[in-house]
Amino acid sequence: MNPRVRASARDIGLDVLSILAVGIFVFPIIWLFLTALKPSGQMFEGPLAILPHSITLDNFARIWNAVGFQTAFRNSLIVSTSSALIVTIVGLCAAYSLSRFRYRLRSLFAGGILAVQMLPGIVIVVPLIVILRSVGLTDRLAGLIVVYLLIGLPIAVWMLKGYMDDIPAELDEAATIDGASSLQVLWQIVMPLMAPATVAVGAFAFLLAWGEYLFAVALITSTEMKTLPLALQAAFGQYSIDWGMLTAGGVIISLPPAVLFLFFQRYLVGGLTTGGVKG
Amino acid sequence: MAVSANDASIQSSKPRRLFALPDRRSRVGYAFIAPALLIVVVVSLYPIAFGIWLSFTDWYLLQSLTPTFAGLAGYRRLLGDADFWQSLGRSGVWTIGTVALEYVIAMPVALLLNRRSRITSFLTGALLLPWVTPTIVVAYTWRWLFDSQFGTVHYLLQRVGLAGERSLLADPKTALWALILVSAWKGAPFMAVALLATMKSIPGDLYEAAAVDGATRRRQFLDITLPLLRQVSVVMGLVLGILAFYSFDLVWVITKGGPSDATQILGVYLFRLFFERLELSYAATIGVAMLALLIVFSAVYLRVASRQDNDA
Repeated sequence: MNPRVRASARDIGLDVLSILAVGIFVFPIIWLFLTALKPSGQMFEGPLAILPHSITLDNFARIWNAVGFQTAFRNSLIVSTSSALIVTIVGLCAAYSLSRFRYRLRSLFAGGILAVQMLPGIVIVVPLIVILRSVGLTDRLAGLIVVYLLIGLPIAVWMLKGYMDDIPAELDEAATIDGASSLQVLWQIVMPLMAPATVAVGAFAFLLAWGEYLFAVALITSTEMKTLPLALQAAFGQYSIDWGMLTAGGVIISLPPAVLFLFFQRYLVGGLTTGGVKG
Repeated sequence: MAVSANDASIQSSKPRRLFALPDRRSRVGYAFIAPALLIVVVVSLYPIAFGIWLSFTDWYLLQSLTPTFAGLAGYRRLLGDADFWQSLGRSGVWTIGTVALEYVIAMPVALLLNRRSRITSFLTGALLLPWVTPTIVVAYTWRWLFDSQFGTVHYLLQRVGLAGERSLLADPKTALWALILVSAWKGAPFMAVALLATMKSIPGDLYEAAAVDGATRRRQFLDITLPLLRQVSVVMGLVLGILAFYSFDLVWVITKGGPSDATQILGVYLFRLFFERLELSYAATIGVAMLALLIVFSAVYLRVASRQDNDA
């Protein structure tokens, strides 16, 4: 065999191996999707009966019409969208301050926000819930939104600052000389230049709130206030033998983050690996 | 603190004064960061301070509606609390097990994806799916896969002799290890992507030169790739380790700390005290202890991470 053929055979071999490795790795997710599409009659044919013989959307209809699921979907949408919007706007302003202004406490603030990034929820859950209870924010979506600001904000500030530092400051200086205010510079010059990154950061804040469980379970008690993770947990307790319905619920919860992430992968992977993480 | 424009211009002309008031441009800078600082103070610094205060009180919700000062009682209890020390030990096993397994999964995958091929960027995206899937969904999916009757993973483990009749999650001897597998599965993509990014930054000339000198691929990996991955491995190991040490939801949703406390890691212990036993003060004390550990971990992390900046 000549070397070129051998090299390309090797490439194909490695491609096949890569597909196999990643395929086995993501098998649980493939299993979840396939199970959600299975008719009830095929659900318990055995541990290796993974592929459905025929597919159905019945499971999705059942979970969608289960008690509380649509309300939970709406609640999750409200909480995640509001916190993502606030995080993005507040984060843009903070990033702008850290990136473009020089003042005494700047590095203290920057370090402080980075330190909060490393603060795990479990460490502050008790005092935070007690505080929120004393101001009447338990069992209310507003309380969850406040908590999710903290979860999304530090990483948003750091990612946005990273992108903003790459935009030459000469642009804002020119605009300032032309009489633009700082706010105008941020909204009309800087932000449009990093619009895709800004949207990506907003998407990230959205998906952090979307799947959050600890504070949701600690704060929310009534059925009407439940977010999707809590609704799925309630359904699991109630219909534990209906794997089809529950896997369909799992797919519904997983889809928005997966789609957002694949869409913004380019922006998020870089930011995540440099800025640390909050999972 | 009202500052007129006149004051500010006087101050800014004397920048060396120790307590100089900020000049106009600095004030704009402060104004832009103020909302973010407000959120950080209200939702994180104040709760930390409040939590420290709570840890010095006695507040058991079934007995009183308000906390009473109790000094170091909570900390004395902590020192003698066997459940706490056992949970801490489990958290140690859990953390080290999770990070080690994440590394073992991530390294070969990163090596496979570190090639120029049309499919690698698609596969990298697919690889990240466990990382972005909400914990609640990951938890239930693995509960089903570990099901002793219909679980695919349970069946395969049984075939190779790693599982018996019972689900691994139902056996106190194996439950923690089964959960470590799930936790590592969720975190490994993040490790893989970080390793992959560093591998891609290694100049190809290094390998070409080594190949000219007759180094095998195995030698190239051991002598070039691995040493250059050391820094990112340590940093990512610490990040994922901190994440694992302070995790709660995965274990809580899958086993609630059971069977017979076999999977009760620190986060689960704290939450049970708070949520099931309503011992607010003692739960806060454990939170403060975990915070103290976090400061130690973070100091190590910052040292290692800043060394990375100096190297670059």
